[in-house]
Amino acid sequence: MSSRKRKRSSRDIKCVFFPDDVRHGLHKVGRETSSLSSLSSARSWERCGESFLDTPMTKTLQSSGRKLSAIKNLSLVQPRPFHCEKDLVHIAWSSSDSEQSDSEMQLQSRVVPQQLIHKPRPTASSQSYTRALLMLSTSKEDLPDIDTDSDLDVSEVEAEKDSGQQISDCESESPDEKPEEQPHESENMKELEISGYVSDGEDTVISSRLNTESPPLQTGEGSKRSVGDWLKSAQAMLQTPQKPNDTPSRTPEDSAKKKKKFQRGGLAERLNRLQCRQRSAVSFWKHQYNSDTSAATTATVDRPGVLVLEVLEVTEECSMQLALCEHHLPPRDGHQHSKAVSEDTARMLVLFNRQTAAQLMPAPRDIIHIYPPWQSLSIEGLSCPVILNTHFSQKVCSAANTSIPGCRFAPKKCMPYYLGKIFGLLEASRTTEMNKQVTPSDSLCSFGGSGVLREHCDSLLEAIEALGQAGSVDQDVEVIVQRVYAVPIGHCSPASIIKPRVPLRSSAALPPAEKGKTRLCVLVQDSYGMFSVVQLHPLPCKDDLHQYCQMWQGKTCVLRNIKVVQRVTRERRSRLFSLIDSLWPPAMPLKEHGSSLSMPSTSRASGPAPSFCYLLSGQQSSVEATKEQAVSPLYCHPLKRTLRDILQGEGGKICRCSFDATVLYKRMQSPDVGHGEVWMVLTDPSLQEEECSERPCRRTVALCVNTSCVLTSSVLEALSSPAACRMSFRDAISENDFLLCAEQSVIEPEGSLKSTTRPESVLQPQSSILLHPVRLDPLSVETTPNSLCALTGVIVGVDENTAYTWPACNHCGSGNLDMSAERTQSFHCVSCKSAVIKPDTKVQLEVFLSCSSLKDCTVKVKLQKKTIMSILNSTALESDEFPGYDVENVLGKEVGPIAVYVQVVTRKPALWISLEEICL
Amino acid sequence: MPSFLPAVVEQLFRDIQTTYQETAQIHNDLLIALKFVFGSCALQALDLVDQRSVTCLSSPSGRKAFQVLGGSGCVYTCFLSCHYCPCPAFTYTVLRRNDGLLCKHILAVYLSQAMAVTQQESVSDQQMSALLSSTAAP
Repeated sequence: MSSRKRKRSSRDIKCVFFPDDVRHGLHKVGRETSSLSSLSSARSWERCGESFLDTPMTKTLQSSGRKLSAIKNLSLVQPRPFHCEKDLVHIAWSSSDSEQSDSEMQLQSRVVPQQLIHKPRPTASSQSYTRALLMLSTSKEDLPDIDTDSDLDVSEVEAEKDSGQQISDCESESPDEKPEEQPHESENMKELEISGYVSDGEDTVISSRLNTESPPLQTGEGSKRSVGDWLKSAQAMLQTPQKPNDTPSRTPEDSAKKKKKFQRGGLAERLNRLQCRQRSAVSFWKHQYNSDTSAATTATVDRPGVLVLEVLEVTEECSMQLALCEHHLPPRDGHQHSKAVSEDTARMLVLFNRQTAAQLMPAPRDIIHIYPPWQSLSIEGLSCPVILNTHFSQKVCSAANTSIPGCRFAPKKCMPYYLGKIFGLLEASRTTEMNKQVTPSDSLCSFGGSGVLREHCDSLLEAIEALGQAGSVDQDVEVIVQRVYAVPIGHCSPASIIKPRVPLRSSAALPPAEKGKTRLCVLVQDSYGMFSVVQLHPLPCKDDLHQYCQMWQGKTCVLRNIKVVQRVTRERRSRLFSLIDSLWPPAMPLKEHGSSLSMPSTSRASGPAPSFCYLLSGQQSSVEATKEQAVSPLYCHPLKRTLRDILQGEGGKICRCSFDATVLYKRMQSPDVGHGEVWMVLTDPSLQEEECSERPCRRTVALCVNTSCVLTSSVLEALSSPAACRMSFRDAISENDFLLCAEQSVIEPEGSLKSTTRPESVLQPQSSILLHPVRLDPLSVETTPNSLCALTGVIVGVDENTAYTWPACNHCGSGNLDMSAERTQSFHCVSCKSAVIKPDTKVQLEVFLSCSSLKDCTVKVKLQKKTIMSILNSTALESDEFPGYDVENVLGKEVGPIAVYVQVVTRKPALWISLEEICL
Repeated sequence: MPSFLPAVVEQLFRDIQTTYQETAQIHNDLLIALKFVFGSCALQALDLVDQRSVTCLSSPSGRKAFQVLGGSGCVYTCFLSCHYCPCPAFTYTVLRRNDGLLCKHILAVYLSQAMAVTQQESVSDQQMSALLSSTAAP
C-alpha cells in the first residue's frame, strides 16, 4: 500500500493549488492550461469523493444507484423514479464529464462544477449528494434490486485490491516516469494532468470499474479469488455494510458514467450487453481455474476447442501482448506435453489484452491453454491466423520455473506504428476498391460460439445478466425443474413482489375473488448450480398442481419469455434457502462458467450452496419440458425419511424434510378449511415402534400448515373426514422439534406423490399400517401445545360454570334450534330447516384432574360425552329430562386413559395445562 | 517481429465493412473482437457511431477532413492522411504512451466509414483551410 500512499500524497499536493490553476487557465494562455483546469477540477472532484468516503453515504449512493439502474430494467414492475434519476444524472454531469477527451471545450460546460468547487467546495457537493441519497434511500426500501451484475461487487473488491493504481495507474506503470511526478514545476504538472486523462486506454477501465457503460472485460482478471469471496462480496453489496474507510476514492464520474445511456437498439448498447455477459463469464472462469489450477489442466485439455500453445516469441504492442505460438494439437492420450507432437504443429499469433497478459505473463517456451470461446482472425497476406478474445487463457507450464525466480521475462516493446499509415476505408475511393478484393467476411471466426452469444443458453446467470428491455430475459434457458409447488396468490402478488417484507397476513386484505386462488411456482436449477424461482400462471384448479408435478418435476425444461422480478438472498428468504440447501450439494457435478463446451469435470467438489437466487415470472407457456423424458441426473428427489429420523436429526437447525405420516388429529383455525392455519398431529410407524430405548421418544409430532401452503381439494377432503388419514408431506420445514408446512411445501394424500419420479428403492420397507390403538405420550411437564397425550388421573374438581347440557339437532348436530310453537317438546332446526322431534342432548363438562405423573400442576380437561356418561354412571342422557348431578358424585372418580389434545400450556406462575379429550 | 496490430485492426475494419454492406448489421463476434482490441474505446466509439457523430467535410478543392462531435459537444477534426486527433486521449494514450492504436474519435471515423453512416457536408475552401489550420491551436 505504500505506492498508494505515495499517490495519495502526490495527489494531495496537486490539489492544493487547483483553484488558482483554474484561474490561471482562464486568464493566462495556452491550450495546455485549459486542459489543466478541467483536469484539476476533475481532480478536485476526486478529492470530494475522497472526503465522502469518510461518511458511509458514498456506499449507499453506490448501492442504491445500482438499484436504480436495476429498476430501469424493471420498468414494467414499477414506474421509474424519475426525480431520483434526474438528480443523479445532474450530479453525474456536473461532477465530471465522462467524455474526458472532450475536455478542451469543457471550460464552458464546466461552469457549474467549478462554481461548486470554488465556493463551499465539499459542502455544496456533499449536499447535492445527500439530497440524492435521501431520495434514493427513501425509495430504496421499496425497490426490488435485481442487480444483475454482481460483478459490481467483484470490481469493488478489486478496487480495494489495487487501490493505489486506480486512477493514477498509468503514471505508476512505467517506472522511468516516476521521478517526473514531483509537482514542483509547471512543466511536470502538465504531464500529470494529461496522465489523469488517459481516457481511451485501458486505464480508464480501471478507474471506472463501476460503470455499466463500459464494464471492463478485464474485471477479475488480475486477481484471484474464490467463489466464496465472490458470493460474500455479492452479499455484502446487498447489505450495504459498514466497510473500512480505506477504500479508494470513487470519483463522482463513476456514477456519471453509470447513468449514461446508450442509444436504444444501437451498437453500443449491444456491445455493452455482450460485455456484461462476457464479464460474468470471465469472472466465473477465473474463479474456477484459480481455485484448482492443477486439476483443471488434466481434466480440461481434452475438451474440444482448447488451444494448446507453446509460446515462441512475445512482443508488446500498444499495451497488448502479441505472442507467436506453436499450436500443439491436443493429443488423444491426454499427455499434452509429449515431445512427439511437432508434426501436428502450426504457428499462430495470439493477442492478449493488458489484463490477461499481466496475469499470464507469457514468456517463450511457456505452454498456454486457451479455452473457448476465442476468435480466430485470418488476415490477408498473413499466413498464420491471429487469435483474439483470449480471456480464458491459462499458463500450464512455465518455462520460468527453471530460471531464477523474480527474473521476469519482459516482452520486447514494439515501435509505435507509423501514424501516417492509415487503415484504408478512410477514403471513399479506396473502399470501393477494397470491396472487390475482400471475400465475404469469413476472416473472423469464433470458436465456441463466442460463448456469450447464444440465444439458447443453459446458464440462468448469463441469461439474467444479458437482460433485455424491461427486465425480460430474451434467451431460452435450459434448466432442471427441482420442485413444483403452488402458493396462494396473495403471496406473490405484485405488491408483495415489490415489498418483499410485507407481512404474510396481508393476504387477508385480498379482494374476495382473489382469495383461494393459487399460483404455480417452480424452483429450477441450471447446470451451473444456480437456482431460480419462477412464478407462473394462476392455477384454475388447485388439483392441477399434481399434474404439473408429474409433467415437470425432475425434468429438463426450457424457460421462455421470463422476466426477472427480484434478486433474493439467503438472509431475506431463509425458508426458500432452506429448500435450496436441501437440494445441495447437487446430485451431479456442475458445469462451470466460462467453459461452455466443456463436459462437467468430475474433479471439482461443489462449493457452498448459493446465497442468492432470482425470482422470475412467466406465463403458462414459459416452462416447457424438453423432448427428453428421462429424469435429469441433477434432480434431487425429495428423500422420504421417517418422523423419528427427522425428530432426532438436526437440533435447532431449520431444514426441509419429506415424509409420509398419518394425520391423527387436525384442528383448523377457521371453520372454512383452507384459510387460516391448520394444526395436525402426525405419527408414523417409526414413532409407534415398541421400544423407545435411549431417550423418551415422542409418539406424535405436531405440524402446522400455514396459509402460504396450498392445500389441494383432495387433501382438504381427506382432512375433513373424521378418520385418520395418510398423507405425503414434501419439503416440510423442520424447526425446533416442530414441523411446519409453508411456502414450497406440498401436501398430498399418500400415494399420489409416488408417481413423481421417485426411485422405488426409497420406498420405506416398513409397512405403513399403524398399530391400533395409537400410542400416545403420557402427559408430562414437557408436553407442548397442539400435541396429543394419553391422560389418566383422578377428578379433583369440576368447573361448574361450564358444565351444562343442551339439545341439538339429531340430523345435523347443530345447536341452533328454535322452539316449535305448536308442541313444547319439539324444535325446529335453523341450520337444516327441519323439525326436530327427538333432539340429541349434548353435554359439556370440564374437570380438574390430579395426575400421578405431574405434581403441582393444574390439569383441566374438557371431556367428551362418552367419558362424561361413564363418570356419571348414567345412560339417562337420552331421556327427556336430564337430571342434575352433585359435584360430590364426580369427585374422586378415575378418568382414563383417554386421548387428549393439548390446547394451552401455561408455565407461569405455575404449570397449568388445558386439555380437550378427543376421539381417535 | 513486425508490428501486427495495425494489420489486425485493418482486417477487422474490412470485415465490419463487408458484413455491414451485406447484412446491414455488425455481428456480435465482430463487436466482441473490436472490444478486445480497442478496450473501452470501442464502446465509446460505437456510441459515437450510433449518434451519427461523424461528419466528412469536403471542400471544392477536393480536401477532406472528418469532424467528430464529442459527447460533450466539442468537435474534433481528424485528418484523412494520417492518424491525428486533437483530443487529450490521443495525445496521451496514442502519442505519448503508445498504449492504444487510436482514440475513440478516430475509431468512430473508421467505423462510420465502414458502415457508410458518415454525414457529408460541403464547406468552402476558406472554411476548410481555416479548419485545418485551426486544429493546431484551437
